[in-house]
Amino acid sequence: MRSSRLSLSAGLLLATSGCGVYALPPGATMQAQVLRQDWIVFTLAGLFVAVVVFGLILIPLVVWRRRSDEYPPQFRRNTKLEITYTIIPLLIVIVLFAITYRNEVIVKHLSPRPAGTVEVTAFQWSWRFHYPGTTINIVGTPQAPPQLVLPIDETTRINLTSSDVNHAFWIPGFLFKRDAIAGVKNSFDLRPTRVGVYLGRCAEFCGLDHALMSFSVRVVSRADYNRWLRARRSSTISSTKGGAS
Amino acid sequence: MCTSIFYFFLAGLLALVIRAQLSQPGMMLVGPHQYAQIFTLHGTAMIFLFVVPFALGLANFLIPLQIGAPDMAFPRLNAFTYWLFFFGGITIFSGVFVNGGAAASGWFAYAPLSEIRISTGEGQDLWIIGLLMTSISGILTAVNFITTTFLYRAPGMTMWRLPIFVWEMVATSLLILMAFPSLAAVLAMLFIDRHLGGEFFTASAGGNPVLYQHLFWFFGHPEVYIMILPYFGVISEIIPVFSRKPIFGYTGLVLSAFAIAGLSMGVWAHHMFTTGVVTNGFFAAISFLIAVPTGVKFFNWVGTMWRGSIVFTTAMLFAIGFMLNFLIGGITGVMVASPPIDFQAEDSYFLVAHFHYVLGGGSLFAIFGAIYFWFPKVFGKMLSERLGKWCFWLLFIGFNTTFFVMQFLGVMGMPRRVYTYAALPGWGNLNLIASIGSLIMAAGVLVFVWDIITASLSRKHAPDDPWGGYSLEWWTTSPPPEFNFVSLPPIRSERPVFDAKHPELAKEQPG
Ligand code: HEM
Ligand SMILES: [Cu+2]
Ligand SMILES: [Cu+2]
Repeated sequence: MRSSRLSLSAGLLLATSGCGVYALPPGATMQAQVLRQDWIVFTLAGLFVAVVVFGLILIPLVVWRRRSDEYPPQFRRNTKLEITYTIIPLLIVIVLFAITYRNEVIVKHLSPRPAGTVEVTAFQWSWRFHYPGTTINIVGTPQAPPQLVLPIDETTRINLTSSDVNHAFWIPGFLFKRDAIAGVKNSFDLRPTRVGVYLGRCAEFCGLDHALMSFSVRVVSRADYNRWLRARRSSTISSTKGGAS
Repeated sequence: MCTSIFYFFLAGLLALVIRAQLSQPGMMLVGPHQYAQIFTLHGTAMIFLFVVPFALGLANFLIPLQIGAPDMAFPRLNAFTYWLFFFGGITIFSGVFVNGGAAASGWFAYAPLSEIRISTGEGQDLWIIGLLMTSISGILTAVNFITTTFLYRAPGMTMWRLPIFVWEMVATSLLILMAFPSLAAVLAMLFIDRHLGGEFFTASAGGNPVLYQHLFWFFGHPEVYIMILPYFGVISEIIPVFSRKPIFGYTGLVLSAFAIAGLSMGVWAHHMFTTGVVTNGFFAAISFLIAVPTGVKFFNWVGTMWRGSIVFTTAMLFAIGFMLNFLIGGITGVMVASPPIDFQAEDSYFLVAHFHYVLGGGSLFAIFGAIYFWFPKVFGKMLSERLGKWCFWLLFIGFNTTFFVMQFLGVMGMPRRVYTYAALPGWGNLNLIASIGSLIMAAGVLVFVWDIITASLSRKHAPDDPWGGYSLEWWTTSPPPEFNFVSLPPIRSERPVFDAKHPELAKEQPG
């Protein structure tokens, strides 16, 4: 009965671990579709390994419990079997690596001609979004988080850095983050595929108000984006304060 | 060993405060600055003052016994390393009494956050000095282990007859010798930056904050294996005894320990996938490869239980719990070693779940297993099997309740190291579940404390060999006399005590 309790709890663990991927946001950029695929492949592979190995651990607990004082056969090795169970995991991780590598190349790819660029600077404890070539400069505070506006179905280049300690620019809805480090310029592309407002936050602990260092991203149509740009240009002074309208 | 458990209780209390604070969105039990001190001390103490020193303490007791030696090679050095560790810990915790409080920049204290301009308090300095003391203590201890194992083995105890625990400690010691100097260096550089006008990590003055991360993780990743290899050893000692069979695939276990140790020197930048300045592909590949020797260990343990005759003692339950939990930790480990996954998981609660599954579900469970297994040998008193099983089930259920849900919180976007969070759908409930789990674990720890107290007070004496043990420590009295042994059995395999007691089974059977 003790071992059946063990197998029950292990079964429960397994059942719930399958749901992990359902908690994952759908992913609202072209890049996020690839990232999501990686999650799914690894979760399935992980579940497979979990089922096999949990099974291998639990079988002896049920089948070969101590029944008498007699000692069981005292075998010590089986070289063929040992080589097999070294090679199989090796093959699994080689396949997983190939998938990972391909996915990462896609996600990290920098378009030669991005439609737009935003300079993002992290500081204790908020963000500055500067649209080069314009006077748009959105600076937030922990109390009034700034909003980044991106056009849908176009590639925007983000150039990220920090003016003080390490931070990390994380948009969970895009399944993506990148560190902001002083002296390092980090560039990546985002190509949103769904209109909406997405929460973003700092992921790297950066001091007192780290927990409040959030922002948001609003993905809009091209027409709305142009309208927003015009409105912003004509009111550059107010735009240096708090969140975007 | 006892001191490290004392630090475990301190760090555990801190963890309960963390879970209380996060049980609901917007709780205000502690403020942001206190919260930062709490998670910094919790992480630092669990890693540097509990999981590592417990292993070193256990090895200090066991290595001489298991190789049939009277004592460690350098007993006086040994005493010195203990006091370095003890006062190192006191130094780190003493930060709570100084101006500005204890260190508050996390257990890896990334510069520039830990630089003097931002972390102005003396707590950060005490943290640096305390850690330097414990790292020197670790290096000297490693030298002592290696010398002892190579030079002090009893006649007949060849290297290929060493118990697996001793082998794992040799691999651990080598890792300590390679990794700890990097920690000492980065701490020294941080101190120079803070007080002697250095600018190692200040970008505006020509320094480089990324350098800090490289130096730290060049130590930090091997460190995580320093925290698990000894416990692989513990598990490899417990499982065969309670499967009533020899360990399966001895050679494979030894080779996998060194494969893990070797590979783990080449994966440090998987902690830096999101920095954008490292070659992610290389570090991902080596990280995946580590899963192979780790998998080999699992199959060896399964092979040991296979067609065995399994006895469900408390120690064995903890060993089984170790395998189940550590498997989840290993799988999530391979997941976060895939950069596309890490772009979401890094610094989220998913990562918190990963490392607690390996360290809490893994190392901590092995520590409890080790205590239930060797307590009679160390103190000459038996722990209660009945209380032990309560302790195991409370910890096992509490642990999984606490940390399983963190995986969901992580993928949903909850970052680590926040003292508060917004009331997003599901977040409050999942965090509440985690906090309830931590109370169940606390109950398990209380049962354990009660068990230790009643056992220590009882007059009943433990037998020399309560479990039908295999290695030499079960040959001598409980507790062992000064210089450990009066006599030794002949040593013809890795389980001399078993061979001596069951000569009819001693001959190896083909498997
Ligand atoms: C199959 C084996 C493992 C793999 C592939 C693996 C992989 C990783 C990766 C890639 C990270 C970094 C993730 C990030 O920073 O975003 C990480 C973090 C971590 N791992 Fe593992 N891991 C494994 C086993 C272990 C073991 C055995 C331990 C310790 C007993 C451990 C302890 C940790 C800790 C403490 C961290 C977090 C460090 C921090 O940021 O505070 N891991 N692991
Ligand atoms: Cu932050
Ligand atoms: Cu690592």
